[in-house]
Amino acid sequence: MDRALARRLDARFEGVLHGPAKQRHDQTEVRIGAGDVQQVLTALHDEPELNFTMLADLAGVDTGTEMQVVYHLWSSSTSDWLRVIVEGLSRDDPRIPSVTYLWPGAEWMERETYDMFGITFEGNRDLRRIYMPPDYTSFPLRKDFYLPDDAARSPGAGVRHVERTHSPVDAAPGVLRRTGA
Amino acid sequence: MTAIARTWDNLTLPGRALLIILPLLALLSIGLVVVLALFGQNILDILIFNLPIVRFVFAATVLLLLAPPIAFVIIYMEMKVIALMNLRIGPDRVGPWGSLLSTVHGLKVLMKEDFTPSRADPVVFTWAPVVVFATMPLSALVIPFAPGLFAQDFNLGLLYFFAMGGLTVVGLLMGGWASFNKYSLIGGLRSAAQIVSYEIPLTLSVVGLIILAGTMSLNSIVQQQGIYIDANGVTHGSGWFTDWFAFRQPLGFLIFAIAATAEANRTPFDLTEADSEIVAGFATEYSGMRFGFFFFAEYIGVFIISALTTVLFLGGWNAPFPVPHISWIVDPGSLGIGLLFVVALVPLLATLLFAAPFYLFRSKTRWWVALIIGFVLFNVVAAGLIGLWAYVNFDWVAGLFWFLGKTFTLVFTFVWMRGTLPRVRIDQLMGFAWKWLLPASLLNLFVTALAVLAVDWLRRGAA
Amino acid sequence: MATQTPPRPAKPAGAATPEGTHRSEDDPNVLLQDDYAFYEPIPPYPPRTEREAEFYTLGDGEMFLNMGPQHPSTHGVLRVVLKLDGERVVDIDPVLGYLHRGVEKLVENADYHQTISQVDPLEYISSLFCEWAPVTAYEKLLDVEVPRRAEYIRVLSGELNRIASHALFLGWFALDLGGLTPILWSFIERDEIVEMLAALTGQRMLFNYFRIGGVNGDLNHEFMSRLGDWMSRAVGQLEAGMGLLNENEIFVRRASGLGIVDSETALRFCMTGANLRATGVPFDVRRAHPYSIYPEIEFDIPTRTEGDSLARYLVRMEEVKQSLRIIDQCLEQMPDGPIMAKLPRLLRPRPGRAWAAVEGPRGMYGAYAISDGTDQPFRLKIHDPSFIHLQAVGALLPGNLLADTMAIMASLDPIMGGVDK
Repeated sequence: MDRALARRLDARFEGVLHGPAKQRHDQTEVRIGAGDVQQVLTALHDEPELNFTMLADLAGVDTGTEMQVVYHLWSSSTSDWLRVIVEGLSRDDPRIPSVTYLWPGAEWMERETYDMFGITFEGNRDLRRIYMPPDYTSFPLRKDFYLPDDAARSPGAGVRHVERTHSPVDAAPGVLRRTGA
Repeated sequence: MTAIARTWDNLTLPGRALLIILPLLALLSIGLVVVLALFGQNILDILIFNLPIVRFVFAATVLLLLAPPIAFVIIYMEMKVIALMNLRIGPDRVGPWGSLLSTVHGLKVLMKEDFTPSRADPVVFTWAPVVVFATMPLSALVIPFAPGLFAQDFNLGLLYFFAMGGLTVVGLLMGGWASFNKYSLIGGLRSAAQIVSYEIPLTLSVVGLIILAGTMSLNSIVQQQGIYIDANGVTHGSGWFTDWFAFRQPLGFLIFAIAATAEANRTPFDLTEADSEIVAGFATEYSGMRFGFFFFAEYIGVFIISALTTVLFLGGWNAPFPVPHISWIVDPGSLGIGLLFVVALVPLLATLLFAAPFYLFRSKTRWWVALIIGFVLFNVVAAGLIGLWAYVNFDWVAGLFWFLGKTFTLVFTFVWMRGTLPRVRIDQLMGFAWKWLLPASLLNLFVTALAVLAVDWLRRGAA
Repeated sequence: MATQTPPRPAKPAGAATPEGTHRSEDDPNVLLQDDYAFYEPIPPYPPRTEREAEFYTLGDGEMFLNMGPQHPSTHGVLRVVLKLDGERVVDIDPVLGYLHRGVEKLVENADYHQTISQVDPLEYISSLFCEWAPVTAYEKLLDVEVPRRAEYIRVLSGELNRIASHALFLGWFALDLGGLTPILWSFIERDEIVEMLAALTGQRMLFNYFRIGGVNGDLNHEFMSRLGDWMSRAVGQLEAGMGLLNENEIFVRRASGLGIVDSETALRFCMTGANLRATGVPFDVRRAHPYSIYPEIEFDIPTRTEGDSLARYLVRMEEVKQSLRIIDQCLEQMPDGPIMAKLPRLLRPRPGRAWAAVEGPRGMYGAYAISDGTDQPFRLKIHDPSFIHLQAVGALLPGNLLADTMAIMASLDPIMGGVDK
């Protein structure tokens, strides 16, 4: 329950935050835009009074109208968790700078967010899918994700050997591919 | 015809096997009897003329026939002993205390599909298990199991043994390379590196022993660890276990034991088949009887290395204490007609004698159960007495008993190590062999040689 | 006779096979590529990122080895493509997703209460912690106060689960290094604890025990008697296993100096839990950001500074002892009272966001819950420590030998259920 943190952040990042820092239970929340990510997070990480050296989580959120990326940070200088919400990412082509220069461990978390939402992290050296197969064509955790369409578009549709055993002789056979990465 | 087809359908698998095998066996035995009757004397003459070859063939056959049972026993021991160390039960169902499980495993392995991977080199792939398995009986030819019970007794027996042991590397490399599988390749190369590196401390550590014994013949090395009379008629040895070379060459024994563990691909040096890293090493692509061959070869290798350690350092077939010479001559003929009474009455009386306590003091036992228990006990006691008589009268029985006891104690130690120790890494293994064992074995050799020279010089100086 | 093989389908007449393929013998309708037996784990499409391009170009004398999803030693279904130079690992590329179940999406389509059973199989060895974080997040959204007795029961069962998880870690670590015995002894230990928890929760592994606002069942007689029995020989099997390993020269030489992480790198890689504490940073969520009733319980945070596999192993074993202390204190201080807060059946939290983190056996396990006022969660993001630690393997491994791959992965203790969500 650190009310002072919210005031400190309001003071330090005046003009950058999209509104006052909110505090509830044991979490303080600030909202910024995609362009300020590098400035704010580097300041939070490097400045000794703030000292948010631990990135606890990097999440993507699809609010239905826009995309957001949410960082949770922890610092030994305060008893609260800090939540940094980067809002305003468009749903068609969400782009945000990557934080892998600060925390190399964020690479896989950004990969997961890309895989699930389609948010492109600029500066991430390895932005490819992590859970879904590499040729998957949509982003599962988006609110406009509909499963049946994707299964039909999937390259695995109807090519299984077992299903072809009793098919008509003149049907075009599928080529049994070895699975890629 | 349908009656035969129906009979055939109604038979179980063992029944069908017997129905085919028994007539064939009968025919074969009739044929054999005829051949022997007609040409028996000629055959005997040829055999006597070529006695060494006959001896070799006979010994190799016996070794090959004995290899699977020994392997089965060691495999069962490994499963059961490690299970008991792990606080589990292990094999329990097949046979008394699960002892037939490894036999059943062997039969199962015969029934598995035997395939060759599509890109593997078929000739090399097929011959790799054969090479690995063949080295085992070849190296076991020189091991003396008991006084007089050995296949061959060269002057260079020990050297021959190490040469044959090195042949295993060829087989493992063949298996690893021909499998067309990176895991097998890594396993095969690791095993080649390991066996080749540990050959050197293995052989060097026994050179000190060879200096002391004066010969490389395994038979005479064993003899020198007991009471023996040398060429000049001088009696050496006290019959106690302190005669064994383990006490005269302690460092050599230690180095040999460690290098033997590495040679046999046993934990902690079992990274050739480290199944948590490279699946099954060189044997990854093998299945069925070929894998069975690799598997057998490993366990027979354990037995043979233990046998060699026993022969070299632990006294071979010598008893650890001087067994007093008892003479126990049983002459059944002297009883005359009494023999008939003995044979008729003793089993009956002994059965009743052993059954009586169970029937009289335990109310739950029914009389026929008590009689069965009595009969079994009588058999056990009779077998024990016959064994004791054989031990006293035949030196090869006594020798075999001690030899097998010591060898299986060492096998138990190998199994014990497997259950307890983790695995070393390949670079730690190689570093250990080249940086520690090799200088230690050289040190052992030099110290032994210096000691022999010094004792000799002192003796000549005193005389 | 007994079985008849089905007749083979007829070959299509006059059908020519395309270039580089041939027909399968078992089913002529299936075309196989000519080199189907020759498998290199190189993806069949051009590299999508610069890291992929860098990884999949072979240097001089290097080869790829695919430790596929089926392997005796990967901790679940994990595929690791190794770039080897002989036995030395040059680079690795872990491929995940074999166990991806879409838990976060499933949670969005179900009720708040159903989250608990969905989220159980994530880190299936330490299920209670997987339930604890989302439940705490939802309780923050609902502004609900959990009764003290329920909190104590949560801590008690959680610490038992932690001991069971560390027992599994001990066994698995030793097994990956070649020792067959400690895992079986650990499973004796684990079996007793898991039977205890089955008496309490009804299940041996995926407990489904915590509820939003409390727990699902009070301590019962069977649980208490089993617990009392077990406390008398508490971690005997674990100590036997440790006795077999801690002073074993082979084990120590294999594990020490292996996969060294320094504290700065560990923080940069977002590592938490025992892996972080073994590098010297005494960060434990139970003390750094206390939740539940941990402020009232006394325990230490074992920390080591070497940062190698042996340190990680020793830190976890020390934590077991601390867990025993916590269990003792819980049993002493257990208050009476209700075990569930009064909540409506259909939960409609206020629209808002909440984050909760607990200290699981593997690290900090976090849940970020967003509610939009309806009765279905809007978003639940699970932060899983195994996911992060598996990423660190890629940084720790190059330069080590193949045998160390398994040792380092085992010492970081990943569970693929959590990695793949």
